[in-house]
Amino acid sequence: MKIEIKDLYFTYPTGVEALRGISLTVESGEQVAIVGQNGAGKTTLVKHLNGLLLPTRGQVKIGGWDTTKYPVAKLASRVGYVFQNPDEQLFSRNVGMEVAFGPKNLGFDAERVEALVNDALVLTQLADKTETNPYDLSATWRKMVALASILSMDTDILIFDEPTTGQDAVNVARIAHVIAELRKRGKTVITITHDIDFCAENFERVIAMSQGKILLDGRTNDVLGREEILASTYVDPPQLTRLGKRLGFKNTVRNQEEFLNALKK
Amino acid sequence: MHERLSFFVKRDSPIHRLNPMTKAVMALSLVLIAFLSPWYWTPLALFLFVILPLSLVARVAREYWNFILKVILPTLIILFIMQAFFLPGESRSIFEVFGLEITELSARLAFRNVMRILVMISSFTILLLTTHPSELMSDLSRRGLPGQFAYVVISSLQIIPQMQAKAQTIISAQRSRGLDTQSSFLRRVGGILPLVGPLVFGSLVEVEERAIAIEARGFTSTRPKTFLREIQDTSFDRALRWALIACVILTLILRIWLS
Amino acid sequence: MAIVNLQNVTYKYPLTDVPVLQNINLQVEEGEFVAVIGPNGAGKSTLCYTLAGFAPHFFKGELTGIVEVAGVESHNSILSEWVLNVGLAFQNPFNQISGAKYTVFEELAFGLENIGIPRDEMIARVEGAMKLTGISDLADRSPYSLSGGQQQRVALASILVMQPRVLVLDEPTSQMDPIGTREVFGVIHSMAESGMTVILVEHKMEWIAQFADRVIALKDGEILMNGDPSEVLTSPLLPSNGFGTSRYTSVARRAQELGLWNEGKLPITLDEAVRGFNSSLTKEEIPDARAK
Repeated sequence: MKIEIKDLYFTYPTGVEALRGISLTVESGEQVAIVGQNGAGKTTLVKHLNGLLLPTRGQVKIGGWDTTKYPVAKLASRVGYVFQNPDEQLFSRNVGMEVAFGPKNLGFDAERVEALVNDALVLTQLADKTETNPYDLSATWRKMVALASILSMDTDILIFDEPTTGQDAVNVARIAHVIAELRKRGKTVITITHDIDFCAENFERVIAMSQGKILLDGRTNDVLGREEILASTYVDPPQLTRLGKRLGFKNTVRNQEEFLNALKK
Repeated sequence: MHERLSFFVKRDSPIHRLNPMTKAVMALSLVLIAFLSPWYWTPLALFLFVILPLSLVARVAREYWNFILKVILPTLIILFIMQAFFLPGESRSIFEVFGLEITELSARLAFRNVMRILVMISSFTILLLTTHPSELMSDLSRRGLPGQFAYVVISSLQIIPQMQAKAQTIISAQRSRGLDTQSSFLRRVGGILPLVGPLVFGSLVEVEERAIAIEARGFTSTRPKTFLREIQDTSFDRALRWALIACVILTLILRIWLS
Repeated sequence: MAIVNLQNVTYKYPLTDVPVLQNINLQVEEGEFVAVIGPNGAGKSTLCYTLAGFAPHFFKGELTGIVEVAGVESHNSILSEWVLNVGLAFQNPFNQISGAKYTVFEELAFGLENIGIPRDEMIARVEGAMKLTGISDLADRSPYSLSGGQQQRVALASILVMQPRVLVLDEPTSQMDPIGTREVFGVIHSMAESGMTVILVEHKMEWIAQFADRVIALKDGEILMNGDPSEVLTSPLLPSNGFGTSRYTSVARRAQELGLWNEGKLPITLDEAVRGFNSSLTKEEIPDARAK
């Protein structure tokens, strides 16, 4: 399902101009990371993808649907959005019910809901916690519950807002695993992140934003190689990219494998 | 939006310079006199000859009128009409519609009540416009109000906009999960839990963290407190307070005596 | 003598059976910068709460063993006195704002008012802390109108004005963007430079490697390792126990397995990695040259 954004401007009622001319196409099945400092307009941008915000000017189309013509509840069948703070959405008595909330809202039949819930719980390694109250889990696991509760909606497009914030290495690996599995299934994933190493290792395409505009948009290696422009958004290149640069590698490297290959040459 | 959570307007005026306690006593005295006075025209007189000059001297006339005209006046008009129709008044009818009537007496009573309320709202509005909430609270704590009480008052004033922002995020999060918040009443009732649940739980977490944060800064310390804000309490302040209290007592005596 | 002294400390939250901290022994010298690392659920936050007196004084629960700071034992102290020795700041800057004050300056003075510091000294301390944390230009702003990084520096400054002997920081940058992280670490660094004792819980290994004098690795409520950063952060025990490591360390470890890293010690910083790989490359080239 294709995302098409044309010349998007957005001004908040307070008068803050958060987006200033964004044009962007994301093809079906792409994995995109959006980086940039707070206030760059990342969250404002992705909130346009499921109609939570509507353009002041310009157009956003999701698989041909103009977001101004469909309610959020309807767009939810195409775009799943995992908010940054799980505590701002969890309310059910147990994990299973929480994860079933979304697909039920979408009107799926009981059989499909059950299958989707099970699949989401397995993918997020929550299968043994179905009966647990989400608030008896640690903040780390609550984040996974929030993730599962969107996965179960089986949308073609998924948005993650800062999935790795406050997570430890083990959980970051779990989230990376979910994203890899979604790629295999041909889902589109758009992630906002400050974690540039995570971004480098898990995404094929990176968009760097600053002051409501797109500064860079391209293949991960190309974007990460543009050190000066990245620096203007206060984003440091990933650790291995910096190391590669210092060692005088010709090409920009972004993960262990690329680094070691370059080293062997 | 977060910059202005109180009514307070920072200006230099004789009223601003008064001790917060003096201003609080003044506001309270005006209200008491307006309600206790045995004379019919007292509330109007207070409004014309005390409140209006005060707003000018305090240099907050613009803010005051803005608030009164936009927010208070419409309410008062509705209140006047309601009272004029429904207060009992066995006297000459001056207006009649659908079998309901306004009589001379009911109109008089309604007018007095509305004026009393106007004086009450006006005096507290001027108090809040000219007094920084922190100053009022530090002054009250200095006079023996428990610190915890002052904290609860001030922090609840500040917390309301934060709660609103949080509620907005929760609504967005649940709409993104297909919750239809714009549909029929029955579905809305079913949709309450997903909205209220996170708000309540989230607030519990926040309250605990905030409790730790202020505790880490000696909130429950038993040492005698000191204050950053130096608050003047001149002999003029004290004299004014006693004069105001005397006026209230005088009004009370007159009321009992004349009744 | 150590300023912080924990002996056989075990702690259980109320209504739970499993201790969150088990048999912790830890000494910290005055002026030392100690980083605490560990997977989520290892007991890092509880360790912070214990040092700062909140466990057990605030949370209740059951604490055994000795918790001693600056010669005073936690059991014999009350929380409002204990916090004068140990300052605590944590993740969410927003929840650390008192909510009772309208400007940053007043916010910083809040703690000093509570403990009865005379007004002149109060103003001097607030100004000093604002300078140290680089927020002097925010003095008249509302704390709620600030960015995350600014708010977190206000939170740190609000603790610094109290002039604690020991500063305990529980993941102060985990919710910051890159700028915020840099700002906050800048402040932490200058505090450490000024000789303050700092105990910092943190996931960002690159920063720990730069600043810490010592690293404690906590796992399941117990101290797994306690030592020099270059030793602890490169230990093979970390990856096998669910700890994160910096990319420099992990890539060098992999390179070592492939015979592409010939240095003795694995790197923890960018500079060490550059030096190590450069010298490994030249060493490697010698046999190559001979073969030709």
